Amino acid sequence: MMTETPAHPGLISLQGIGKSYQLAGQHLPILNDVCLSIARGDSCGILGASGSGKSTLLNILGLLDLPNGGQYHFAGHDIFSASPDELAAIRNQQIGFVFQSFNLLPRLSALDNVALPLSYRGVSRHESVEQALRMLEQVGLAERAHHRPADLSGGQRQRVAIARALVGNPSVILADEPTGNLDSTTAQEIMDLLLALNREQQVTLIIVTHDSHIAERLERKILVRNGAVHEAGHP
Amino acid sequence: MSLRVEQSLSQLLHEAFVSLRTLGKRSILALLGIVIGSSSVVALINIGHNAAVDAAMIFKDMGTDTLVVQFPAKGSNNVPMRTRLDLDAVRQAVPGIAHIGALTLFSGPIVFHGRTVNANFVGSTANIQHAMRLPLREGRFLSPFDANETYGVIGDQLAEALSAPGDPLQLGDRVRINDYLFLVVGILRDQPRAMLMPVQANESLFVPADGMRRIYATPQISNVIIRAAPDQDMERIAREAAIALSSQLTEHTVEIQVPQQMIDGMTRQSRTFAYLLLALGAISLVGGGVGVMNVMLMNVSERRREIGIRMALGARQRDIRNLFLLEAVTLTAVGALCGAVLGMTAAWLYAWLSGWQFSLAVAALPLGVGSTLLVGLFFGIYPAVSASRLQPVEALRDE
Repeated sequence: MMTETPAHPGLISLQGIGKSYQLAGQHLPILNDVCLSIARGDSCGILGASGSGKSTLLNILGLLDLPNGGQYHFAGHDIFSASPDELAAIRNQQIGFVFQSFNLLPRLSALDNVALPLSYRGVSRHESVEQALRMLEQVGLAERAHHRPADLSGGQRQRVAIARALVGNPSVILADEPTGNLDSTTAQEIMDLLLALNREQQVTLIIVTHDSHIAERLERKILVRNGAVHEAGHP
Repeated sequence: MSLRVEQSLSQLLHEAFVSLRTLGKRSILALLGIVIGSSSVVALINIGHNAAVDAAMIFKDMGTDTLVVQFPAKGSNNVPMRTRLDLDAVRQAVPGIAHIGALTLFSGPIVFHGRTVNANFVGSTANIQHAMRLPLREGRFLSPFDANETYGVIGDQLAEALSAPGDPLQLGDRVRINDYLFLVVGILRDQPRAMLMPVQANESLFVPADGMRRIYATPQISNVIIRAAPDQDMERIAREAAIALSSQLTEHTVEIQVPQQMIDGMTRQSRTFAYLLLALGAISLVGGGVGVMNVMLMNVSERRREIGIRMALGARQRDIRNLFLLEAVTLTAVGALCGAVLGMTAAWLYAWLSGWQFSLAVAALPLGVGSTLLVGLFFGIYPAVSASRLQPVEALRDE
């Protein structure tokens, strides 16, 4: 579990991934034979029209959903042979999620929301609160630590969500339309924050977006169309 | 990278604290549902139990615990019955006797202020008041120290018959029988006809047994009345009392009537009540259980998305289970206890309003609290655990 298998270079490696749903008796293929590899420190945009399968691809990349077939190695772990508990541990330790609708827990304060991922890896309460506070400082929300999500603006909520994604020191941040619910100035700030993290801390950044301005600022652009994946600049 | 970690105790305690703190806002209605479910079970079972106890009291008042002894002569000889029996010896020989008293009966005219009425004269031992259940309206009953006095205790209807408008018979008045004046020391309360008793108290004057010779030259004991302590085998007491009394008699046999028909009636009635209680318990358990189930299912299904978020952040199935277990235990325990207190209060209030005696039904508390806890825990945890078995993306998906 400790070593990265040389046969699968990079952080993320997908080979022949397929995903389909059974809906009302109909067979609905979403992704067909997707091959993709992403290295540490990359910044990628996943682009595509609504219903093209880009969100499904992100869910599979983030281990929130299992593909029907193919091969997927994440940081050397074979996803198909991992138990649900091992998948949960990989999500907890390697992946930070940023959602379009923030997905903060409304009952918890901003601080407790940020500290939550640490509670699932055996860190004591005291220590996790300290780390969460440091992370809130980094996103500029230290003075709002004890506010509930309902008392924060959209941009502030997304920054809390980013702090929560970063607190576990992940190797990948997966963001699904992170600026979709924000105005353009706030969206700009959030993108600046994410790109700075990518640049300064070498966090791999994968962003699903349909906004070409955002995509322009990322190194790689992966296009999803009718369940197939093409990389812009790679014919 | 290690993939095996446990949530630390401090984190679990913090989660419990947060869920307790936000309990007031989030689940006050859930708590209410649980309280109602639990209290209805406790209250219904207890009210049914009190009704059964009250109905059994009716039969007891009619005399299912009372034995009437007669002394028919042996053969056709005409030897008079004795005037005294050693009742204390009988009481000692037969366990389970609460009260025992002897009656000497005679009847004739009784005169008060010139008015004459026919009445029963009952020579009584002091214990007969409790053996025959004779409640007093005024004054007192005869005591062992009255043996040689010309005192009497008068029945309600007899007193009424001797009274005239403007001249009621009162305590301290004297009534005449033949040439003797008897001082009225007590007046009995009016009571329904006693089915088993050889004499109706309403139409009788009770005088000390030893004084019967003043009225009647050859008094003899006609009956002995035995009242058993609660929950005794009446057949056994009748058998043993017959043996004990026979040993004191030479010319007479002992005949004891057991109120078997009434005892059978009481047994059947208590069986009826047992079935009724069973039905009440079952229906209230189902009703309360479904209420608690709804509350817990709602509570969990509202938080399906939260389960998805927690899984995305790295919670495992058992982390989700622990979280909901902790909350369900807190919620159902608090609710079930409040419900037990509320249900008991309701049952007590109902008993008080309907004039029943309140007694605690043994089964009510464990059934009410236990069923609430079981149903609440199952429906609080099971949907959460099944949600945690989904892929996180399915739990995250909006309804």
